[in-house]
Order: sequence, then C-alpha cells, then structure tokens
Amino acid sequence: MIATAPPVAGLDELLLAMADDEFVIGFSDSEWTGIAPMLEEDVAMSSLSQDELGHAAALYALLGGVTGQDPDAIAYDREPGAYRHARLLDQGRGDWAMTIARRYLYETADSVRLEALADTSWQPLADLVGKLRREERYHLMHVGAWLERLASNDGEARHRLVTALETLGPHAGTVFTPLESEGPLVEAGVLARPMAELEKDWRTRVTDTFEPLGLPLAPATSDPWLGRTEHGEAFRWLWGEFTSVRRSDPAATW
Amino acid sequence: MSRASVRQAGSDAPTLEAWEVFRQEKDGDPMRHGGSVMAPDVELAMHYAREMFGRRQESVRLWVVRRGDILDLEDPDLLQPPLDRSFKKPGGYVMREKLAAAREAAGQEKPKARSR
Repeated sequence: MIATAPPVAGLDELLLAMADDEFVIGFSDSEWTGIAPMLEEDVAMSSLSQDELGHAAALYALLGGVTGQDPDAIAYDREPGAYRHARLLDQGRGDWAMTIARRYLYETADSVRLEALADTSWQPLADLVGKLRREERYHLMHVGAWLERLASNDGEARHRLVTALETLGPHAGTVFTPLESEGPLVEAGVLARPMAELEKDWRTRVTDTFEPLGLPLAPATSDPWLGRTEHGEAFRWLWGEFTSVRRSDPAATW
Repeated sequence: MSRASVRQAGSDAPTLEAWEVFRQEKDGDPMRHGGSVMAPDVELAMHYAREMFGRRQESVRLWVVRRGDILDLEDPDLLQPPLDRSFKKPGGYVMREKLAAAREAAGQEKPKARSR
C-alpha cells in the first residue's frame, strides 16, 4: 500500500496503528450520542469522540503525506481486515461501564505511547504529538473521574465496571502490540523505547490506580502478536457502519 | 432562588445539582453568565462547564459556582423601595448641551460609539 518510501522505515506502520486506534475508539464512543446517562455527559462524550476523530484525521493526514495516499481513502476504503487498531477497541460499545473501562485502559496506554513520542526525531510527528498530549490531558481527567465514581459505588455500577475490566483485561495490553518495524523506529529516534517497555510502564501506572480501588488488573495479553491484526464480528459491524455513507457513493465529492 | 437538586432513580444514585457557569471570552473581558449545567459534584461540574462553554475555544476562563452557594437577592423592599428616589438619580444634570458646546469650542468631533 506504500506509494512512496517513508522518510524513516516503519513510520507508516506506527502512524497507521495510532490513527486506527483513535478512529475506532472515536467512532465507537460516538455511538453514545443521544443515549448517554445524562444530557451533560452526552455532550461531553460526543465532544470527546469528536476529538478522537480529529486526532485520527490529523494522523491519517500525516500518513497520507508519507505514503502519497488520500487520508479519507486510508480511513474509509480498506477492508475490515486491513485495519490495525488494537484489539482492546474491538469489543463493541457495551454498557456505560464497558465504555469507561475501555476508555480508561486505552487513554492511559495512549498517554504512555504519546510520551514516548514527545521527543520523536521526525519533526511533523513531534509537532502533532505536542498538540495531542495537551488534548489528551483532559481526556484522562474525564475518564479518570468516571472510573473513580463507578469503582467507589458499592452497587451495580461497581459490579458492571469490574465485569467490563475482566472482559477487556486479556486485550488491554494490545495497544502495545510490537510493531514489525519497531527496531528501526527506535534506532532512528522516532520511538523512544520498544513497545514492551512502554507496556511495563503502563501496567505500573494502572496498578497504582487500580489497587487502591480494588479493581482487577489486566492479565498478560492473550496472543500478543495478533493484537492489531485479528478483528472480530463487533468490528466488522462497526466497519459496516462507519463506511456505509462512503460506500453508498464512492465517487461522490464531500 | 431555591437550590435546585433532583434525586435520580435508585437508592445510591448521586444527587444532581445545578452549577452556574460564568465565562470570559477573551483576556480583559468581564466574566459573563453563560448558563448552567447539572452535575453531581464540582469535578464533573468543571468537566461539563468545559464541554458546554469551552469546547469550541469560545472561552479563556470559566467560573463554576454551585447555584446553592449564590446569595440570591430579589427582595423588593431592598431593591425597589417604594418611595420616590428621583433625587438619587443624576437626571437633573443634563450634560448633552454643555458637552456639545465644549466640543464645538475645542473643534472636536463627537466620538463614535466604541465597537467591540
């Protein structure tokens, strides 16, 4: 799929993984528009998911600049099997607790990943990561507030949160699925450290939050090497949704 | 104004209450009332104020105040006393002609209304 060689080998793989993550979680969470637990939260979650889609658009645009492809074509014109988002984001919208659990696991992982890219040697990415980190700070605050509230409730809210974390646990670490081109990326100073090291940092941070709240920690990732390539039925459905307008008239100018 | 709070369904549901949000559009502007949000606590009130009044970069500062913490004064005895108060108003001092005469003497144009 590469039209021109990227300035650093593997840059396209990294950008695609990040863009697909933001795109899929953004689209999944936008499903709450109109049905969130309360009006204010409905607006908040819709706005957060728009932020994620905005981040995805910026990352697809960077990727398009590297590969010579149209960013919209990258976002919408692939078959479901060609998406490279983490399997953590593949479990379907679920209930509110599932959404908060998934957002928490993803946002904390994304923030560790963005930190590892803060001083990236590829300047266009460094510029974008600086902006993304400023916005993600708010995202972390928002989802952290919800996690704490659901966890501190002795009733159904906590029960649902624990169930969601147990369901997502085996997939939680897939944000750090090793990239094929990870070696060259680290060597070129694009990525500060290998994904496996970032995952360790992330687990330490999540543990620091989860232990006092008595929440279940994510076990080791199942099939870690397939973390970004095996997408199930829930994603196929989501893909059908988010490509439906585009597929209805592929030649249309938007 | 009574403290607006509603109890959600369920015994352990948090109590939602109203928070008033004031916003500053740009540095130097006064804080103006933007509207209100419902939230169970100050942290979520801050999040929702940010989403309702700041997500499109339309504010540089927000004040979020629990509605119940606002001293609400609408007592007519205090604010609309019934006796004639015209002697407290500056209506007797008409400045328009004096100003116009002074401007003419100084050869100045009437300043235009300031636009924001």
